[in-house]
Amino acid sequence: MKIQGTHQISVARDVVFGALTDPQILQRCIPGCESLEQTEANSYLATMKAGVGAVKGTFKGSVRLAEMQPPAHYRMIVDGKGGPGFVKGTGNFNLEESNGGTAIAYEGEMKVGGVIAGVGQRMIEAAAKMLAAQFFNSLAKEINRE
Amino acid sequence: MIPAQFDYRRANTLAEALTLLSQNEDAKILAGGHSLIPAMKLRLATPSMLVDIGRIKDLAYIREAGDQILIGAATTHYQIESSDLLQKICPLLPECASHIGDVQVRNKGTIGGSVAHSDPAGDWPAAMIALNAEIVAVSTDGDRAIKADEFFVDLLTTALQPGEILREIRINKSPGRTGQSYAKMHHPASGFAVVGVAASISLDQNGNCEQASIGITGVSAKAYRATGVENALQGVKLNDETIGSAALHATEGADVNGDLFASADYRKHLAEVYVRRAISAAIKSVASA
Repeated sequence: MKIQGTHQISVARDVVFGALTDPQILQRCIPGCESLEQTEANSYLATMKAGVGAVKGTFKGSVRLAEMQPPAHYRMIVDGKGGPGFVKGTGNFNLEESNGGTAIAYEGEMKVGGVIAGVGQRMIEAAAKMLAAQFFNSLAKEINRE
Repeated sequence: MIPAQFDYRRANTLAEALTLLSQNEDAKILAGGHSLIPAMKLRLATPSMLVDIGRIKDLAYIREAGDQILIGAATTHYQIESSDLLQKICPLLPECASHIGDVQVRNKGTIGGSVAHSDPAGDWPAAMIALNAEIVAVSTDGDRAIKADEFFVDLLTTALQPGEILREIRINKSPGRTGQSYAKMHHPASGFAVVGVAASISLDQNGNCEQASIGITGVSAKAYRATGVENALQGVKLNDETIGSAALHATEGADVNGDLFASADYRKHLAEVYVRRAISAAIKSVASA
């Protein structure tokens, strides 16, 4: 499944890039993220309790950031497993200066498998969009607070 | 196919259910159990407690009260489908009910459960929007009425707060020359709506569209009001041409979902087709009334 989107945040690009690669900020912004431990440079081990409505599951997995080109671009590689299934994916984040703020464009390819894919297939795309929107909304709040 | 461990409590009154809900953060309300139990068996949902409201007396009813129709949250799809009263005064509801799932689902599943679950392809949310329903939630603070337009917030997400239980659905009776219809493309395996369109159309004395109210389900993360279509129909003489051009607004402002069965483009096309069908059928039902 492909996911993509753009979000506008009215803050300078280097600040946004800093926030997007700061594990403490990420932990507060990723919906349901319970822990995000750094294992080596740009690699993290994450535990998240993700879900929508009554459907919830705990996922554990690794997140690696690559192709770091601050403040314009990086690539994120996610590999997670949980009760309801597994998620694997890569995504490109591109940050551009626009209207005095920053436009974050992301596009990625995600593979979801297991029970959640079999049964929840018709809802996965909508769920991914909803979680992405939650993430960027809390990111904007987080950045504005600092 | 075996759910994770959970506690089960049967509430005899709404007050008892509300107390149990407020004392157990992770508790879920069980009504007909035809959305929640399958999710639990797959362990997609693992609530610590189920509070069964299925045997609370006087939570399943269909009544007239002045200009309104009141439907208890625990009323089953079948009770609505087979209601002579509704067939007469609000035929959209029985028609919509007849499209839900299969016989077993309609026999056990409830309108309150389905509305509170807010499945993106559930049938009731479209009808609730088209009928401008009010959804009444009760908590320890008393009743709160929520308009259908504000009730469906996002994917599986409603305006219900933790500690609230959906108690009743209120629908205003429609004025004189109103026709209603629900047009649905069933997913061949699940029976859920690939696209479902509920339409309520009122005509003035000249046969022009006085008011159009259209709810669409299955297309986006939640059911939504097709405002673009409604505006295009307002005050217009309804014929194939005007209905066809209004239907082109079916997915305006909506983030259309794609999945393995139906791509976003295909769904958008279907939405336009089923909007046309729902409006045409609604008008026919005015003519025959």
